Amino acid sequence: MSLVYFKNVSKSYNGNIILDNVTFEVERGEFVCLVGRSGVGKTTLLRILYHEEPPTKGRVFFEDKDIFKLKPKEVIKLRRKMGMIFQDFKLLNSKTAYENVAFALEMTGYPEETVKKEAKELLRLVNLSDRLDNFPHQLSAGEKQRVALARALIHRPEIILADEPTGNLDPINGWEIIKLLLKINELGTAVILATHDKEVVNTLNKRVISIENGKIIRDEKEGKYLI
Amino acid sequence: MFANLKRIFKTAWQGINRNSWLTIACIVMMVISLTLFTSIIIFNYAANYLINYLKEKVDISLYFKTDVPEEDILKIRDELLGREEILSIDYISKEEALKKFEKRTSSNPLIKKALEELGENPLASSLNIKARGTEQYQKIAKDIENAPFKDKLITIDLAENQRVINQIHSLAKAMKWGSFLTMGVLVFISLVIGFNTIRMAIYALHEEIEIMKLVGATFWFIRWPFLLEGALQGFFASLIALAIFIPLIIWLSPKVEMIFAGFNLASYFWANLGFIFLIQTAFGMFLGIVSSFLAINRYLKI
Repeated sequence: MSLVYFKNVSKSYNGNIILDNVTFEVERGEFVCLVGRSGVGKTTLLRILYHEEPPTKGRVFFEDKDIFKLKPKEVIKLRRKMGMIFQDFKLLNSKTAYENVAFALEMTGYPEETVKKEAKELLRLVNLSDRLDNFPHQLSAGEKQRVALARALIHRPEIILADEPTGNLDPINGWEIIKLLLKINELGTAVILATHDKEVVNTLNKRVISIENGKIIRDEKEGKYLI
Repeated sequence: MFANLKRIFKTAWQGINRNSWLTIACIVMMVISLTLFTSIIIFNYAANYLINYLKEKVDISLYFKTDVPEEDILKIRDELLGREEILSIDYISKEEALKKFEKRTSSNPLIKKALEELGENPLASSLNIKARGTEQYQKIAKDIENAPFKDKLITIDLAENQRVINQIHSLAKAMKWGSFLTMGVLVFISLVIGFNTIRMAIYALHEEIEIMKLVGATFWFIRWPFLLEGALQGFFASLIALAIFIPLIIWLSPKVEMIFAGFNLASYFWANLGFIFLIQTAFGMFLGIVSSFLAINRYLKI
């Protein structure tokens, strides 16, 4: 049973084809780089996977369940099995670093003590123990992305979906994030890293799915960025 | 359960605190809404008071010929009292009428002199009839016109009163409808003001709502703090509106009393302070909760 299965998925907006008959699988614990120039449909593919928008054609399975046949309540549960990080971080600006992470756990009704322990532990993991009470506008870009990563991990997800996570970061901070993703992956969580950063992809030496014009043009076990 | 309740309160309080400008804007607009709302309540009361005051002034007076003995008049009174549409009848004897007349004209020596020269009481005994409703005077007058005791009467003064009665009747009707309509329109306006302000405030936070959805928050977990915030804003707005009304009423009351003698706005306000505050707060909280609910639902779709 694969974790993620895209079966002949197409997506178009007003006749503009963004994804064209895309089929691939991601296994549990796998690390996959999704590469291609900006605008080729990497973000759309991830948005479909976390049920933000439906495909025009085709089906998407997560743990063998067609995610577009789920009830709203099940969609909420599905999202808790996926951790997401974005180029623009998507942090709650009115909450502190600690609250951003704790919030994701509070909503599942965990007792206060557990929430505190887990959130602090994760923020320690991403080296932010001394920034707990800072609001996003008081953090650097790299720190914001690490908060986002801690939040993504709080539900112990099956998979991390990272959409250009290093896009707004300098190379050093970018590598910090990539290293954290590798560490998370080593602990058994699958990762889909959508990026157009050639250097990152070529250094990782992981599976690479290359997309061009909405189509998968290459899918290699230990691939390189060749576009 | 308790932990969740605590979290909802905490989140709502943080929302109020950390988005203080939005909160202030919402509260200010709600204060305007509530001030409108409470003004309507007070205006409505004043209008009702005025109508009742005028209604009380209306009556039918039957003036009896001087040779009709008192017991006959009292008999007629008892007979009339049996009618459903009549609320009360006052008997005013000739002597009483004279006393009242003398009292009223005591400052006029000419009239006093004329009465003295006349030597006897020229005034008639009368019955003052008050009906249960202003619309019933005409019917009563008509019935009396056809009554067997008609020839014992000098005059029925409804003819003069009729115009006034009709006017009051239509005024009362117009005021009832007018205040009803104004109330409707103003309540609607205050609803629109409150709703749109909260909608804009929530729009400002719609990205946050999207993010909460993405990380897997249930809709109620997102919604509750906003509803509570709306309710708290309504409550604070109500307190502020009351703080505006108190000095305003104190200032306005003597001025209103000068126009409508006997109408004490302040005493009405103090006597009904609890009720006014309660209904105003209920309206404010209702406005806050419903507006938040409707505004946030737009963003809570999968």
